[in-house]
Amino acid sequence: MSVKQKVLQFGRVFRQLTWRMDQRLLLIIIAGVVGGLSGLSAVILNEMLSRVYHALKPLHAHWGSLVLPALGAGLSCLFLGYIMREGAGHGVPEVIYSVLKRGGLLRLRSSFSRLISSTLTIASGGSAGPEAPVVISGASIGSNIAKKFGLNDRQRIVIVGSGAAGAISSIFNAPVAGMIFAVEVILGDWTPISLIPIAIASVMGAEVSRLLEGNQIPFTHHAFHAGLLDITACVGLGLVAGLASVLFTRLLHGIGAKSRKMVRFDTLRAALGGTCVGLLGLFLPVVLGEGYEVVRSVIENRFEAGLLLATGATLAKILATSLTIGSGGSGGIFAPCLVIGSLGGLAYERALIFLWPGVAWAEGGLFALLGMAGVMSGTLQAPLTGIFLIVEVTGSYEVMLPLILVSAVSATLCHYMEPVSFYHKELASQGQLLRPRTDAGLLADLSVLELLEKDCVVVSEDMRLRDMISIIQQTSRNYFPVENARGDFVGLVHLDDLRPYIFNPVFYDAVVVGELVQSDIPHVSPFDDLREVLDLMDQTRSWSLPVVHRNKYLGMVSKGSILDQYRKELVVQSY
Amino acid sequence: MMNPQLLHVYRNTPFGRETLLESSYFCKSVGVDMVIYVPVSTKFLMYFENDVVQVDLDRSYLVSPETAEERARAICRSQGVEPMFFTPKDYTASTLPDIPTEFDYMCCPRSIADVSSKIGLGYIGPRVRRIVNHATFPVYIPNPVFKAWKKVAVLFGGSANAVQAVRLGVRLRDATGFPLQVFTHLGRTRRSTYERIIQENHLGEAFENWTVFEKGRFRDNLFEVPHDALVIVGAYGHGLIKQLAFGSKMEVIQRVLPNSFMIVGPRCRV
Repeated sequence: MSVKQKVLQFGRVFRQLTWRMDQRLLLIIIAGVVGGLSGLSAVILNEMLSRVYHALKPLHAHWGSLVLPALGAGLSCLFLGYIMREGAGHGVPEVIYSVLKRGGLLRLRSSFSRLISSTLTIASGGSAGPEAPVVISGASIGSNIAKKFGLNDRQRIVIVGSGAAGAISSIFNAPVAGMIFAVEVILGDWTPISLIPIAIASVMGAEVSRLLEGNQIPFTHHAFHAGLLDITACVGLGLVAGLASVLFTRLLHGIGAKSRKMVRFDTLRAALGGTCVGLLGLFLPVVLGEGYEVVRSVIENRFEAGLLLATGATLAKILATSLTIGSGGSGGIFAPCLVIGSLGGLAYERALIFLWPGVAWAEGGLFALLGMAGVMSGTLQAPLTGIFLIVEVTGSYEVMLPLILVSAVSATLCHYMEPVSFYHKELASQGQLLRPRTDAGLLADLSVLELLEKDCVVVSEDMRLRDMISIIQQTSRNYFPVENARGDFVGLVHLDDLRPYIFNPVFYDAVVVGELVQSDIPHVSPFDDLREVLDLMDQTRSWSLPVVHRNKYLGMVSKGSILDQYRKELVVQSY
Repeated sequence: MMNPQLLHVYRNTPFGRETLLESSYFCKSVGVDMVIYVPVSTKFLMYFENDVVQVDLDRSYLVSPETAEERARAICRSQGVEPMFFTPKDYTASTLPDIPTEFDYMCCPRSIADVSSKIGLGYIGPRVRRIVNHATFPVYIPNPVFKAWKKVAVLFGGSANAVQAVRLGVRLRDATGFPLQVFTHLGRTRRSTYERIIQENHLGEAFENWTVFEKGRFRDNLFEVPHDALVIVGAYGHGLIKQLAFGSKMEVIQRVLPNSFMIVGPRCRV
């Protein structure tokens, strides 16, 4: 046996072994491996960020802070656009799109490209976080491993979610938050078949991080006590956090859209955004970088700022992050959400003291912590992720009640003002937010071609009524598509159109079908979206429409067949 | 029924004109509808059943977009083909459109297949390999300069993909009315083995004009393939590592023959 044959045989045996293994067990094992690898990618990004940041630290003083963010964002954009040939941005919508519409297929290059580009952006002072890059990296690792094992779409989606869970779990050392993030934000699907592998991946991600970086939480635990008045004040904090989240989401998109119109070249746009961030950083250095140190100082009550400065810093961070990410820099919004939330919470506490100086309010650190959960829940519109992330990264289990309150109020307000989250906004605007088991999701999985009804008898426009009557006797259909001599679609003849003539034999040889045809009948293309087809049916009050391609009649599509397939698809997706 | 469709990625340059002429000629001869994509960016994604392939184009694909559609239409009409133009609906990212993979044929000009320095060396790039490997359609690799083909030639090596290639050859023969010729280089395999494969797959009538090379090197024997034939080859679509380790017959064929090719991959539904 030649070497080639041996290698090919080994491949075959390996595939057979994995295929024979119980599919659920295989899924769990793969999820574990993917979780571990995603965790490793998060550790690598942390290490790269730390090394590059410390290498650049001497340059951050004075004018260096103005130039560095521009340089970093520009280089990041160059790297992504010209070396990796990927679009700029943070990448989480790409993961969600792939899960919702493409069976979780992601490119291999995404497993490392964003790690490098976000290092360039963040370590140079850009206002962004490392979480989105590790999410796309983990998801891509998962997708490509799933491809190697030949998993089907649904299994692959679970593995993509596992990769995202492992990455978040590792970067924050927060396994529960990682798991909930993957399910709540990425998959939007809480079925047991996906929960178990994702939980395993999350644990593996956290374990890899603990093994390589030690079991430490990002922010030191402080015991806070929230009294009844503080809890009541949480409603107001929830509203403030919600408003900050809405402002953040709108500014992110607004700056992104405006800057794309103003500056055509990606690299120049990102560099200009970086320059603006550098300018802001000259006056308010708290806006630069990921900002974990700022969060620590706020929670530990070391951040010396009054009401105005805290409010200004909150708004400046929102602006800086919008400039960094909106202009094309690479990075995520988790860390900025934490900074915005903590500064906003501090500003809220200062406002409470200003308004009611006689009341013994809780420490500023508590409000900062609650603000973090509020902004996170509002911006992502994922309250569970916000609550569990804050609990895990701060170890503050005793403030669960106010955390839930702030997160719920903030997420509700945001949902009212911005129906979809920052991650989903772009997809929703393109009509591609197709969650499983929703109308849009189910219809997107069906196509006009697979619903084509071909049992309508096609008649020629020069056919006499006599011949038509013999056709009517043989079919149960009320519609008859009409074609001309070239075989082009002319229109439809309905049974009602024939009724005045079919009972009078005088017309049998005097009337031809072409005289009765309705040629203004709306028709659809085989490539039309089913939602558009249903809209057209509603507008025209039709139960079925002809499908026409290049003037040729292909068949009919009806509400009945759509409903039939819809139910079948619902059963498949619910299994 | 809908006619089969061929996807052509149009380049608004003289080289692009030649490949579009090739595609139009194929569509006219075989009775296939032409679907043209005029690129809106230098990259696009193709989502197959188990893989996603990013196709990177050079900037020449974006030349004079205002005249592209008009010129493409004129080129097709000169061959008697009425093209349809494809506009992407779905985008993975704002500059990354998704191109459907439900076509019946796809034309991959050599400039998609490889970097410009390798044009003419017969190199089939990794992206075309991945398209071949995952596509359910055959991949058409046209001549850099338009030349009408009047015959169909299948290179039959006995593999499952080669059997599919013969089936496609029969289909194209029936559609075009052009003669079909099958070529086999025996190598270490006996003639009887091939005959058994032909019998098992009920392909006897396709082998009426069967040329078998019992001696000589494979690449030397390729001289016998008619210059005016569309060459159909079955291919595994091996990745780079397998290609480096074991070599590639498809590579040799493309390097030696100047003809237009139709490559039939392992997932191709003929």
